[in-house]
Amino acid sequence: MHKQLKYLFILGYIFFSPGALAHALIINPHTPTAELSRNSIRAIFAMRTPQWSDGTPVHVFVLADNHPLHTSFCKESLGMFPYQLRRIWDRQVFSGTGIAPTTVKSIAEMRERVASTTGAIGYIQPDQVNASVIQISEGF
Amino acid sequence: MRLIPLFLLSLLPAYAAADNSWQDKLQIHGFASQAFVHTSDNDFFGDSDSGSFDFTELGINASYQLLPKIRLSSQVISRRAGELYNGSPWLDYAFVDFNFISTPNHQFGSYLGRIKNPVGLYNETRDVAHTRQGVFASQAIYFDKVRNLVMAADGIHLYSNHFMDNGNLLLQVGAGYPLPDKNVEYTFMGQNWDGKLKGEDLGIFAKVVYEHNGGRWIYSFTTASISLDFDSGAADRIPFPTGPGLTSGELHIDYSVLSAQYNGEKWQFTTEATIEHVDFDGISPLFESLGGDAVGFYGQVDYKFTPQWQAFVRYEEFHLDKHDWNGSKRARESAATSQYLSGFGIQQAAIPAYNNYIKTVVVGGHWDIKPSLRLRTEYHISEGTATLSPRENNASTSEKYWNMFAVSLSYRF
Repeated sequence: MHKQLKYLFILGYIFFSPGALAHALIINPHTPTAELSRNSIRAIFAMRTPQWSDGTPVHVFVLADNHPLHTSFCKESLGMFPYQLRRIWDRQVFSGTGIAPTTVKSIAEMRERVASTTGAIGYIQPDQVNASVIQISEGF
Repeated sequence: MRLIPLFLLSLLPAYAAADNSWQDKLQIHGFASQAFVHTSDNDFFGDSDSGSFDFTELGINASYQLLPKIRLSSQVISRRAGELYNGSPWLDYAFVDFNFISTPNHQFGSYLGRIKNPVGLYNETRDVAHTRQGVFASQAIYFDKVRNLVMAADGIHLYSNHFMDNGNLLLQVGAGYPLPDKNVEYTFMGQNWDGKLKGEDLGIFAKVVYEHNGGRWIYSFTTASISLDFDSGAADRIPFPTGPGLTSGELHIDYSVLSAQYNGEKWQFTTEATIEHVDFDGISPLFESLGGDAVGFYGQVDYKFTPQWQAFVRYEEFHLDKHDWNGSKRARESAATSQYLSGFGIQQAAIPAYNNYIKTVVVGGHWDIKPSLRLRTEYHISEGTATLSPRENNASTSEKYWNMFAVSLSYRF
Protein backbone atom coordinates (compact mmCIF):
# COMPACT_ATOMS: atom_id res chain seq x y z
CA MET A 1 0.00 0.00 0.00
CA HIS A 2 2.75 2.37 1.01
CA LYS A 3 4.65 1.51 -2.17
CA GLN A 4 1.58 2.13 -4.34
CA LEU A 5 1.05 5.53 -2.76
CA LYS A 6 4.64 6.38 -3.50
CA TYR A 7 4.19 5.54 -7.20
CA LEU A 8 0.96 7.51 -7.28
CA PHE A 9 2.78 10.47 -5.82
CA ILE A 10 5.58 10.20 -8.38
CA LEU A 11 3.08 9.92 -11.22
CA GLY A 12 1.15 12.90 -9.93
CA TYR A 13 4.35 14.87 -9.68
CA ILE A 14 5.33 14.03 -13.27
CA PHE A 15 1.95 14.90 -14.71
CA PHE A 16 0.98 17.96 -12.71
CA SER A 17 4.15 19.73 -11.75
CA PRO A 18 5.69 21.94 -14.45
CA GLY A 19 9.00 21.53 -12.65
CA ALA A 20 8.99 17.85 -13.61
CA LEU A 21 9.63 18.57 -17.28
CA ALA A 22 13.17 17.70 -18.29
CA HIS A 23 13.32 20.67 -20.63
CA ALA A 24 12.41 24.33 -20.87
CA LEU A 25 11.02 25.75 -24.10
CA ILE A 26 12.88 28.97 -24.89
CA ILE A 27 12.53 31.77 -27.42
CA ASN A 28 14.54 34.76 -28.49
CA PRO A 29 13.57 37.86 -26.40
CA HIS A 30 12.35 39.64 -29.58
CA THR A 31 9.93 36.85 -30.50
CA PRO A 32 6.33 37.99 -29.92
CA THR A 33 4.83 35.11 -27.97
CA ALA A 34 4.39 34.19 -24.32
CA GLU A 35 2.39 30.99 -24.50
CA LEU A 36 2.05 28.27 -27.13
CA SER A 37 -0.47 25.47 -27.41
CA ARG A 38 0.75 21.93 -28.05
CA ASN A 39 -0.60 22.18 -31.63
CA SER A 40 1.38 25.32 -32.30
CA ILE A 41 4.54 23.80 -30.82
CA ARG A 42 4.07 20.68 -32.96
CA ALA A 43 3.52 22.75 -36.10
CA ILE A 44 6.57 24.91 -35.35
CA PHE A 45 8.92 21.96 -34.69
CA ALA A 46 7.51 20.08 -37.70
CA MET A 47 8.75 23.14 -39.69
CA ARG A 48 5.20 23.80 -40.87
CA THR A 49 4.96 27.35 -39.46
CA PRO A 50 7.36 29.55 -41.42
CA GLN A 51 6.42 32.81 -39.67
CA TRP A 52 5.34 34.12 -36.29
CA SER A 53 2.07 36.05 -36.17
CA ASP A 54 3.89 39.37 -36.77
CA GLY A 55 5.63 38.02 -39.89
CA THR A 56 9.04 37.37 -38.29
CA PRO A 57 10.54 34.19 -39.78
CA VAL A 58 10.51 31.25 -37.34
CA HIS A 59 13.98 29.81 -36.74
CA VAL A 60 13.93 26.38 -35.11
CA PHE A 61 16.94 24.92 -33.29
CA VAL A 62 17.13 21.26 -32.23
CA LEU A 63 19.65 18.84 -30.77
CA ALA A 64 20.61 15.63 -32.61
CA ASP A 65 17.88 12.97 -32.97
CA ASN A 66 19.58 10.69 -30.44
CA HIS A 67 20.27 13.40 -27.80
CA PRO A 68 18.42 12.53 -24.55
CA LEU A 69 17.06 16.07 -24.19
CA HIS A 70 15.70 15.97 -27.76
CA THR A 71 13.98 12.65 -27.03
CA SER A 72 12.39 13.91 -23.82
CA PHE A 73 11.36 17.18 -25.49
CA CYS A 74 9.65 15.26 -28.31
CA LYS A 75 7.80 12.99 -25.91
CA GLU A 76 6.84 15.61 -23.31
CA SER A 77 6.09 18.66 -25.39
CA LEU A 78 5.06 17.21 -28.73
CA GLY A 79 3.76 13.78 -27.72
CA MET A 80 5.85 12.42 -30.59
CA PHE A 81 8.98 10.34 -31.14
CA PRO A 82 12.15 11.71 -32.76
CA TYR A 83 11.73 9.44 -35.81
CA GLN A 84 8.32 10.99 -36.57
CA LEU A 85 9.75 14.50 -36.66
CA ARG A 86 12.68 13.31 -38.77
CA ARG A 87 10.29 11.78 -41.28
CA ILE A 88 8.27 15.00 -41.58
CA TRP A 89 11.48 17.03 -42.10
CA ASP A 90 12.84 14.52 -44.63
CA ARG A 91 9.61 14.51 -46.58
CA GLN A 92 9.65 18.32 -46.77
CA VAL A 93 13.37 18.63 -47.51
CA PHE A 94 13.41 16.02 -50.29
CA SER A 95 10.17 17.10 -51.96
CA GLY A 96 11.06 20.79 -51.75
CA THR A 97 7.95 21.67 -49.71
CA GLY A 98 9.87 22.75 -46.63
CA ILE A 99 13.18 22.92 -44.83
CA ALA A 100 14.92 21.22 -41.91
CA PRO A 101 15.63 22.87 -38.54
CA THR A 102 19.16 23.86 -37.54
CA THR A 103 20.84 21.13 -35.48
CA VAL A 104 23.13 22.42 -32.72
CA LYS A 105 25.86 20.39 -31.01
CA SER A 106 25.20 21.22 -27.35
CA ILE A 107 22.76 22.77 -24.91
CA ALA A 108 25.13 25.72 -24.44
CA GLU A 109 25.16 26.34 -28.19
CA MET A 110 21.35 26.04 -28.26
CA ARG A 111 20.96 28.83 -25.70
CA GLU A 112 23.51 31.02 -27.43
CA ARG A 113 21.93 30.59 -30.90
CA VAL A 114 18.37 31.17 -29.63
CA ALA A 115 19.57 34.29 -27.74
CA SER A 116 21.26 35.72 -30.83
CA THR A 117 18.73 34.82 -33.59
CA THR A 118 15.55 36.85 -34.10
CA GLY A 119 12.49 34.60 -34.27
CA ALA A 120 14.38 31.69 -32.73
CA ILE A 121 12.86 28.88 -30.67
CA GLY A 122 14.55 25.93 -28.97
CA TYR A 123 14.76 24.00 -25.72
CA ILE A 124 17.33 23.58 -22.95
CA GLN A 125 17.51 22.13 -19.45
CA PRO A 126 15.42 24.22 -17.01
CA ASP A 127 18.44 25.09 -14.85
CA GLN A 128 20.23 26.51 -17.92
CA VAL A 129 17.68 29.29 -18.49
CA ASN A 130 19.14 32.78 -17.99
CA ALA A 131 18.31 36.37 -18.93
CA SER A 132 19.49 35.96 -22.55
CA VAL A 133 16.39 33.96 -23.47
CA ILE A 134 12.72 33.82 -22.48
CA GLN A 135 11.18 30.63 -21.17
CA ILE A 136 7.65 30.24 -22.45
CA SER A 137 4.86 28.27 -20.91
CA GLU A 138 3.32 25.39 -22.76
CA GLY A 139 -0.48 25.54 -22.67
CA PHE A 140 -1.82 22.00 -22.73
CA MET B 1 12.59 24.51 -66.43
CA ARG B 2 16.01 22.90 -66.50
CA LEU B 3 17.67 26.27 -66.15
CA ILE B 4 15.96 27.20 -62.89
CA PRO B 5 18.63 25.74 -60.56
CA LEU B 6 21.37 27.61 -62.44
CA PHE B 7 19.30 30.74 -62.40
CA LEU B 8 18.85 30.26 -58.66
CA LEU B 9 22.56 29.94 -58.07
CA SER B 10 23.31 32.98 -60.18
CA LEU B 11 21.05 35.05 -57.90
CA LEU B 12 22.96 34.14 -54.77
CA PRO B 13 25.93 36.52 -54.94
CA ALA B 14 23.62 39.50 -55.41
CA TYR B 15 21.66 38.59 -52.31
CA ALA B 16 24.82 37.84 -50.37
CA ALA B 17 25.85 41.44 -50.85
CA ALA B 18 22.43 42.82 -49.98
CA ASP B 19 21.79 40.68 -46.94
CA ASN B 20 24.35 39.17 -44.64
CA SER B 21 22.07 36.38 -43.49
CA TRP B 22 21.64 34.75 -46.91
CA GLN B 23 23.21 31.59 -45.47
CA ASP B 24 20.17 31.36 -43.18
CA LYS B 25 17.89 31.47 -46.20
CA LEU B 26 19.65 28.78 -48.20
CA GLN B 27 19.55 25.08 -47.41
CA ILE B 28 21.29 22.42 -49.46
CA HIS B 29 20.68 18.71 -48.95
CA GLY B 30 21.42 15.56 -50.87
CA PHE B 31 21.56 11.78 -50.89
CA ALA B 32 23.47 8.87 -52.39
CA SER B 33 22.59 5.20 -52.32
CA GLN B 34 24.02 2.01 -53.82
CA ALA B 35 22.29 -1.37 -53.78
CA PHE B 36 23.18 -4.93 -54.63
CA VAL B 37 20.31 -7.10 -55.91
CA HIS B 38 20.34 -10.87 -56.39
CA THR B 39 17.31 -12.77 -57.70
CA SER B 40 16.84 -16.53 -58.03
CA ASP B 41 15.18 -15.94 -61.44
CA ASN B 42 13.84 -12.96 -63.42
CA ASP B 43 15.48 -9.54 -63.54
CA PHE B 44 14.82 -6.63 -61.20
CA PHE B 45 17.03 -3.56 -61.74
CA GLY B 46 19.72 -5.15 -63.88
CA ASP B 47 20.96 -8.64 -64.59
CA SER B 48 19.99 -9.56 -61.06
CA ASP B 49 19.84 -13.34 -61.40
CA SER B 50 23.60 -13.24 -61.54
CA GLY B 51 23.83 -10.39 -58.99
CA SER B 52 23.46 -6.73 -59.97
CA PHE B 53 24.89 -3.43 -58.72
CA ASP B 54 22.75 -1.53 -61.24
CA PHE B 55 20.73 0.40 -58.68
CA THR B 56 22.33 3.73 -57.82
CA GLU B 57 20.54 6.87 -56.69
CA LEU B 58 22.02 10.36 -56.32
CA GLY B 59 20.34 13.66 -55.63
CA ILE B 60 21.01 17.22 -54.56
CA ASN B 61 18.52 19.94 -53.72
CA ALA B 62 18.41 23.58 -52.69
CA SER B 63 15.79 25.69 -50.97
CA TYR B 64 16.08 29.47 -50.91
CA GLN B 65 13.82 31.83 -48.99
CA LEU B 66 13.67 34.67 -51.49
CA LEU B 67 11.16 36.76 -49.52
CA PRO B 68 9.33 36.01 -46.26
CA LYS B 69 6.41 34.56 -48.23
CA ILE B 70 8.24 33.28 -51.31
CA ARG B 71 10.60 30.28 -51.35
CA LEU B 72 12.31 28.65 -54.32
CA SER B 73 13.26 25.00 -54.32
CA SER B 74 14.69 22.49 -56.77
CA GLN B 75 16.20 19.02 -56.87
CA VAL B 76 18.21 17.19 -59.52
CA ILE B 77 18.53 13.42 -59.35
CA SER B 78 20.45 10.73 -61.14
CA ARG B 79 18.95 7.27 -61.08
CA ARG B 80 20.46 4.12 -62.48
CA ALA B 81 18.04 1.18 -62.29
CA GLY B 82 18.85 -1.71 -64.61
CA GLU B 83 17.36 -1.26 -68.07
CA LEU B 84 14.82 1.25 -66.74
CA TYR B 85 17.06 4.23 -65.99
CA ASN B 86 20.58 4.94 -67.13
CA GLY B 87 21.57 7.56 -64.57
CA SER B 88 21.30 10.67 -66.74
CA PRO B 89 20.44 13.76 -64.63
CA TRP B 90 16.76 14.57 -64.28
CA LEU B 91 15.05 17.68 -62.94
CA ASP B 92 13.02 16.08 -60.15
CA TYR B 93 11.25 19.24 -59.03
CA ALA B 94 11.64 23.01 -59.37
CA PHE B 95 8.96 25.29 -58.06
CA VAL B 96 8.07 28.50 -56.26
CA ASP B 97 6.25 28.19 -52.94
CA PHE B 98 3.95 31.16 -52.27
CA ASN B 99 2.89 31.10 -48.62
CA PHE B 100 -0.14 33.39 -48.67
CA ILE B 101 -1.44 32.85 -45.14
CA SER B 102 0.65 31.76 -42.16
CA THR B 103 -0.81 31.61 -38.66
CA PRO B 104 0.04 29.19 -35.85
CA ASN B 105 -3.09 27.16 -36.74
CA HIS B 106 -3.34 27.52 -40.49
CA GLN B 107 -1.17 27.62 -43.59
CA PHE B 108 -2.42 28.39 -47.06
CA GLY B 109 -0.30 28.64 -50.16
CA SER B 110 0.55 27.50 -53.64
CA TYR B 111 3.33 25.66 -55.47
CA LEU B 112 4.05 26.68 -59.06
CA GLY B 113 6.43 24.75 -61.33
CA ARG B 114 7.45 21.10 -61.46
CA ILE B 115 5.85 19.61 -58.35
CA LYS B 116 6.12 16.12 -56.84
CA ASN B 117 2.77 14.39 -56.44
CA PRO B 118 2.54 13.29 -52.80
CA VAL B 119 0.66 10.04 -53.60
CA GLY B 120 0.13 7.80 -50.57
CA LEU B 121 2.54 8.01 -47.65
CA TYR B 122 5.80 7.75 -49.55
CA ASN B 123 5.62 8.76 -53.22
CA GLU B 124 7.14 12.24 -53.11
CA THR B 125 10.39 11.04 -51.53
CA ARG B 126 10.51 7.43 -52.73
CA ASP B 127 13.87 8.01 -54.45
CA VAL B 128 15.51 8.89 -51.14
CA ALA B 129 16.52 5.58 -49.59
CA HIS B 130 16.34 6.94 -46.03
CA THR B 131 12.67 7.82 -46.43
CA ARG B 132 11.54 4.52 -47.99
CA GLN B 133 10.22 1.54 -46.07
CA GLY B 134 12.94 -0.75 -47.39
CA VAL B 135 15.57 -1.14 -50.10
CA PHE B 136 12.65 -0.78 -52.54
CA ALA B 137 9.32 0.98 -52.21
CA SER B 138 6.39 -1.46 -52.09
CA GLN B 139 5.79 -2.42 -55.72
CA ALA B 140 2.09 -3.02 -55.00
CA ILE B 141 1.56 0.76 -54.71
CA TYR B 142 4.71 2.50 -55.94
CA PHE B 143 5.27 0.77 -59.29
CA ASP B 144 8.87 1.38 -60.27
CA LYS B 145 8.16 0.14 -63.76
CA VAL B 146 5.97 3.22 -64.40
CA ARG B 147 7.24 5.60 -61.75
CA ASN B 148 7.26 8.69 -63.95
CA LEU B 149 3.55 8.51 -64.55
CA VAL B 150 2.58 9.90 -61.15
CA MET B 151 5.94 11.07 -59.82
CA ALA B 152 5.66 14.75 -60.68
CA ALA B 153 3.87 17.15 -63.00
CA ASP B 154 4.44 20.64 -64.38
CA GLY B 155 1.66 22.78 -63.01
CA ILE B 156 0.15 24.37 -59.94
CA HIS B 157 -0.92 23.01 -56.54
CA LEU B 158 -2.78 24.71 -53.71
CA TYR B 159 -2.27 23.61 -50.12
CA SER B 160 -4.23 24.33 -46.99
CA ASN B 161 -2.98 22.92 -43.67
CA HIS B 162 -5.01 23.11 -40.47
CA PHE B 163 -3.45 22.41 -37.07
CA MET B 164 -6.26 21.57 -34.65
CA ASP B 165 -6.52 20.34 -31.07
CA ASN B 166 -6.88 16.69 -31.93
CA GLY B 167 -4.86 16.58 -35.10
CA ASN B 168 -3.80 18.11 -38.37
CA LEU B 169 -5.79 18.26 -41.57
CA LEU B 170 -3.60 18.68 -44.66
CA LEU B 171 -5.24 19.35 -48.02
CA GLN B 172 -3.60 19.63 -51.42
CA VAL B 173 -5.15 19.95 -54.89
CA GLY B 174 -3.61 20.74 -58.22
CA ALA B 175 -3.38 20.39 -61.95
CA GLY B 176 -0.38 19.73 -64.12
CA TYR B 177 1.05 18.19 -67.26
CA PRO B 178 2.32 14.64 -66.63
CA LEU B 179 5.85 13.59 -67.60
CA PRO B 180 5.57 10.16 -69.28
CA ASP B 181 8.71 8.33 -70.42
CA LYS B 182 9.50 5.15 -72.35
CA ASN B 183 8.86 2.99 -69.26
CA VAL B 184 5.20 4.07 -69.30
CA GLU B 185 5.00 2.89 -72.92
CA TYR B 186 6.62 -0.48 -72.11
CA THR B 187 4.25 -1.07 -69.22
CA PHE B 188 0.94 -0.11 -70.77
CA MET B 189 1.70 -0.87 -74.44
CA GLY B 190 4.13 -3.76 -74.09
CA GLN B 191 7.10 -2.36 -76.00
CA ASN B 192 8.88 0.72 -77.33
CA TRP B 193 6.82 1.89 -80.32
CA ASP B 194 7.91 4.22 -83.09
CA GLY B 195 5.45 6.83 -81.81
CA LYS B 196 5.45 8.55 -78.47
CA LEU B 197 3.23 9.03 -75.42
CA LYS B 198 2.89 12.72 -74.63
CA GLY B 199 1.64 14.50 -71.54
CA GLU B 200 -0.22 17.31 -73.27
CA ASP B 201 -3.45 17.12 -71.28
CA LEU B 202 -3.74 18.58 -67.80
CA GLY B 203 -3.92 15.90 -65.14
CA ILE B 204 -5.57 16.54 -61.80
CA PHE B 205 -4.39 15.65 -58.33
CA ALA B 206 -6.01 15.77 -54.89
CA LYS B 207 -4.98 14.60 -51.43
CA VAL B 208 -6.44 14.68 -47.92
CA VAL B 209 -4.35 13.73 -44.90
CA TYR B 210 -5.47 13.57 -41.29
CA GLU B 211 -2.76 13.20 -38.65
CA HIS B 212 -4.29 12.33 -35.31
CA ASN B 213 -2.44 13.27 -32.12
CA GLY B 214 0.77 14.53 -33.74
CA GLY B 215 0.80 11.73 -36.30
CA ARG B 216 0.37 8.79 -33.92
CA TRP B 217 -2.28 7.79 -36.46
CA ILE B 218 -2.09 8.98 -40.05
CA TYR B 219 -4.86 8.49 -42.61
CA SER B 220 -4.67 9.68 -46.18
CA PHE B 221 -6.53 9.50 -49.45
CA THR B 222 -4.94 10.48 -52.76
CA THR B 223 -6.41 10.52 -56.22
CA ALA B 224 -4.96 11.44 -59.59
CA SER B 225 -6.40 11.42 -63.08
CA ILE B 226 -4.15 11.50 -66.10
CA SER B 227 -4.60 11.34 -69.88
CA LEU B 228 -1.72 10.67 -72.25
CA ASP B 229 -1.79 11.16 -76.01
CA PHE B 230 -0.20 8.51 -78.16
CA ASP B 231 1.15 9.97 -81.40
CA SER B 232 1.67 6.93 -83.61
CA GLY B 233 4.83 6.85 -85.70
CA ALA B 234 5.06 5.93 -89.39
CA ALA B 235 6.21 2.38 -88.58
CA ASP B 236 3.29 1.95 -86.14
CA ARG B 237 0.72 2.92 -88.78
CA ILE B 238 1.71 0.27 -91.35
CA PRO B 239 -1.57 -1.65 -91.72
CA PHE B 240 -2.00 -5.06 -90.18
CA PRO B 241 -0.75 -7.74 -90.90
CA THR B 242 2.32 -6.16 -92.55
CA GLY B 243 2.75 -3.84 -89.57
CA PRO B 244 1.07 -3.28 -86.18
CA GLY B 245 -1.61 -0.99 -87.63
CA LEU B 246 -1.74 1.40 -84.67
CA THR B 247 -3.53 4.73 -84.83
CA SER B 248 -3.07 7.76 -82.62
CA GLY B 249 -5.22 7.73 -79.52
CA GLU B 250 -5.38 8.26 -75.79
CA LEU B 251 -4.59 6.42 -72.60
CA HIS B 252 -6.56 7.40 -69.48
CA ILE B 253 -5.38 6.46 -66.01
CA ASP B 254 -7.23 7.11 -62.75
CA TYR B 255 -5.22 6.25 -59.71
CA SER B 256 -6.35 6.34 -56.06
CA VAL B 257 -4.51 5.35 -52.90
CA LEU B 258 -5.89 4.88 -49.40
CA SER B 259 -3.35 4.78 -46.54
CA ALA B 260 -3.33 4.27 -42.78
CA GLN B 261 -0.42 4.17 -40.38
CA TYR B 262 0.17 3.82 -36.64
CA ASN B 263 3.42 5.28 -35.29
CA GLY B 264 4.33 3.97 -31.84
CA GLU B 265 7.58 4.13 -29.94
CA LYS B 266 8.55 0.56 -30.89
CA TRP B 267 5.84 -0.57 -33.29
CA GLN B 268 4.77 0.88 -36.58
CA PHE B 269 1.86 -0.53 -38.61
CA THR B 270 1.28 0.59 -42.19
CA THR B 271 -1.27 -0.37 -44.79
CA GLU B 272 -1.99 1.10 -48.20
CA ALA B 273 -4.29 0.08 -51.02
CA THR B 274 -4.63 1.32 -54.57
CA ILE B 275 -7.06 1.01 -57.40
CA GLU B 276 -5.85 1.98 -60.85
CA HIS B 277 -8.33 2.31 -63.70
CA VAL B 278 -6.77 2.12 -67.18
CA ASP B 279 -8.69 2.91 -70.35
CA PHE B 280 -7.47 2.90 -73.95
CA ASP B 281 -9.17 5.17 -76.46
CA GLY B 282 -8.24 4.35 -80.06
CA ILE B 283 -4.65 3.18 -80.73
CA SER B 284 -5.54 -0.50 -81.38
CA PRO B 285 -8.38 -2.95 -80.63
CA LEU B 286 -5.71 -5.23 -79.15
CA PHE B 287 -4.94 -2.70 -76.39
CA GLU B 288 -8.53 -1.99 -75.48
CA SER B 289 -8.76 -5.41 -73.82
CA LEU B 290 -5.75 -4.45 -71.68
CA GLY B 291 -7.76 -1.77 -69.88
CA GLY B 292 -9.52 -2.44 -66.60
CA ASP B 293 -9.08 -1.96 -62.88
CA ALA B 294 -5.81 -2.99 -61.29
CA VAL B 295 -5.63 -3.34 -57.51
CA GLY B 296 -2.69 -3.43 -55.13
CA PHE B 297 -2.32 -3.49 -51.37
CA TYR B 298 0.19 -4.20 -48.63
CA GLY B 299 0.47 -4.41 -44.87
CA GLN B 300 3.76 -3.81 -43.10
CA VAL B 301 4.81 -4.17 -39.47
CA ASP B 302 8.00 -2.45 -38.32
CA TYR B 303 9.64 -2.99 -34.97
CA LYS B 304 12.33 -0.69 -33.59
CA PHE B 305 14.65 -2.65 -31.29
CA THR B 306 16.50 0.63 -30.72
CA PRO B 307 16.25 3.89 -32.66
CA GLN B 308 19.19 2.56 -34.75
CA TRP B 309 18.08 -1.06 -35.32
CA GLN B 310 14.81 -1.85 -37.00
CA ALA B 311 13.18 -4.89 -38.60
CA PHE B 312 10.04 -5.30 -40.70
CA VAL B 313 7.83 -7.82 -42.41
CA ARG B 314 5.54 -6.91 -45.31
CA TYR B 315 2.95 -8.76 -47.32
CA GLU B 316 1.89 -7.30 -50.66
CA GLU B 317 -0.28 -8.22 -53.61
CA PHE B 318 -0.92 -6.64 -56.97
CA HIS B 319 -3.50 -7.77 -59.55
CA LEU B 320 -3.75 -6.25 -63.03
CA ASP B 321 -7.47 -6.94 -63.23
CA LYS B 322 -9.70 -7.10 -60.19
CA HIS B 323 -12.14 -9.30 -62.12
CA ASP B 324 -9.38 -11.73 -63.10
CA TRP B 325 -7.59 -12.31 -59.80
CA ASN B 326 -5.43 -15.22 -60.96
CA GLY B 327 -4.90 -13.85 -64.47
CA SER B 328 -6.44 -16.90 -66.21
CA LYS B 329 -8.87 -14.88 -68.36
CA ARG B 330 -6.10 -12.63 -69.66
CA ALA B 331 -3.89 -15.68 -70.25
CA ARG B 332 -6.63 -17.26 -72.41
CA GLU B 333 -7.02 -14.00 -74.36
CA SER B 334 -3.27 -13.77 -74.82
CA ALA B 335 -3.12 -17.36 -76.09
CA ALA B 336 -5.96 -16.64 -78.55
CA THR B 337 -4.21 -13.48 -79.79
CA SER B 338 -0.98 -15.40 -80.17
CA GLN B 339 -2.74 -18.06 -82.23
CA TYR B 340 -4.55 -15.44 -84.33
CA LEU B 341 -1.26 -13.67 -85.10
CA SER B 342 0.49 -16.93 -85.97
CA GLY B 343 -2.14 -17.34 -88.74
CA PHE B 344 -0.47 -14.32 -90.36
CA GLY B 345 3.00 -15.70 -89.74
CA ILE B 346 3.60 -13.32 -86.78
CA GLN B 347 5.21 -15.03 -83.81
CA GLN B 348 4.15 -13.51 -80.48
CA ALA B 349 4.45 -15.76 -77.44
CA ALA B 350 1.41 -15.97 -75.15
CA ILE B 351 1.73 -14.23 -71.78
CA PRO B 352 1.21 -16.62 -68.85
CA ALA B 353 -1.47 -16.06 -66.19
CA TYR B 354 1.11 -15.35 -63.46
CA ASN B 355 2.28 -12.24 -65.36
CA ASN B 356 -1.01 -10.60 -64.33
CA TYR B 357 -0.47 -10.68 -60.55
CA ILE B 358 2.20 -10.85 -57.86
CA LYS B 359 2.10 -11.89 -54.20
CA THR B 360 5.18 -11.21 -52.12
CA VAL B 361 6.37 -11.64 -48.56
CA VAL B 362 9.25 -9.33 -47.64
CA VAL B 363 11.38 -9.58 -44.50
CA GLY B 364 14.04 -6.96 -43.86
CA GLY B 365 15.67 -4.47 -41.58
CA HIS B 366 18.09 -1.61 -41.28
CA TRP B 367 20.92 -0.37 -39.13
CA ASP B 368 21.81 3.32 -38.84
CA ILE B 369 25.59 3.16 -38.67
CA LYS B 370 25.50 6.94 -38.21
CA PRO B 371 22.49 9.29 -38.39
CA SER B 372 23.40 9.98 -42.02
CA LEU B 373 24.43 6.46 -43.03
CA ARG B 374 21.98 3.55 -43.28
CA LEU B 375 22.59 -0.09 -44.13
CA ARG B 376 19.51 -2.02 -45.25
CA THR B 377 18.81 -5.57 -46.27
CA GLU B 378 15.72 -7.53 -47.23
CA TYR B 379 14.52 -10.79 -48.71
CA HIS B 380 11.50 -11.23 -51.01
CA ILE B 381 9.60 -14.45 -51.69
CA SER B 382 7.30 -13.95 -54.69
CA GLU B 383 4.70 -15.72 -56.76
CA GLY B 384 3.89 -13.93 -60.03
CA THR B 385 5.66 -11.34 -62.16
CA ALA B 386 3.18 -8.48 -62.65
CA THR B 387 5.44 -5.78 -61.22
CA LEU B 388 8.48 -6.77 -63.28
CA SER B 389 9.23 -4.52 -66.23
CA PRO B 390 8.82 -5.96 -69.74
CA ARG B 391 11.88 -3.86 -70.50
CA GLU B 392 14.00 -6.23 -68.39
CA ASN B 393 12.05 -9.46 -68.66
CA ASN B 394 10.45 -11.57 -71.37
CA ALA B 395 7.03 -12.18 -69.83
CA SER B 396 6.54 -15.52 -71.62
CA THR B 397 9.76 -17.01 -70.25
CA SER B 398 9.73 -15.44 -66.78
CA GLU B 399 9.62 -17.71 -63.72
CA LYS B 400 6.41 -17.85 -61.68
CA TYR B 401 8.13 -18.46 -58.32
CA TRP B 402 11.19 -16.36 -57.56
CA ASN B 403 13.11 -14.87 -54.65
CA MET B 404 15.12 -11.71 -54.25
CA PHE B 405 17.86 -10.64 -51.85
CA ALA B 406 18.89 -6.99 -51.66
CA VAL B 407 21.26 -4.90 -49.59
CA SER B 408 21.86 -1.15 -49.80
CA LEU B 409 24.07 1.48 -48.25
CA SER B 410 22.59 4.99 -48.20
CA TYR B 411 23.96 8.37 -47.23
CA ARG B 412 22.14 11.66 -46.85
CA PHE B 413 23.02 15.13 -45.67
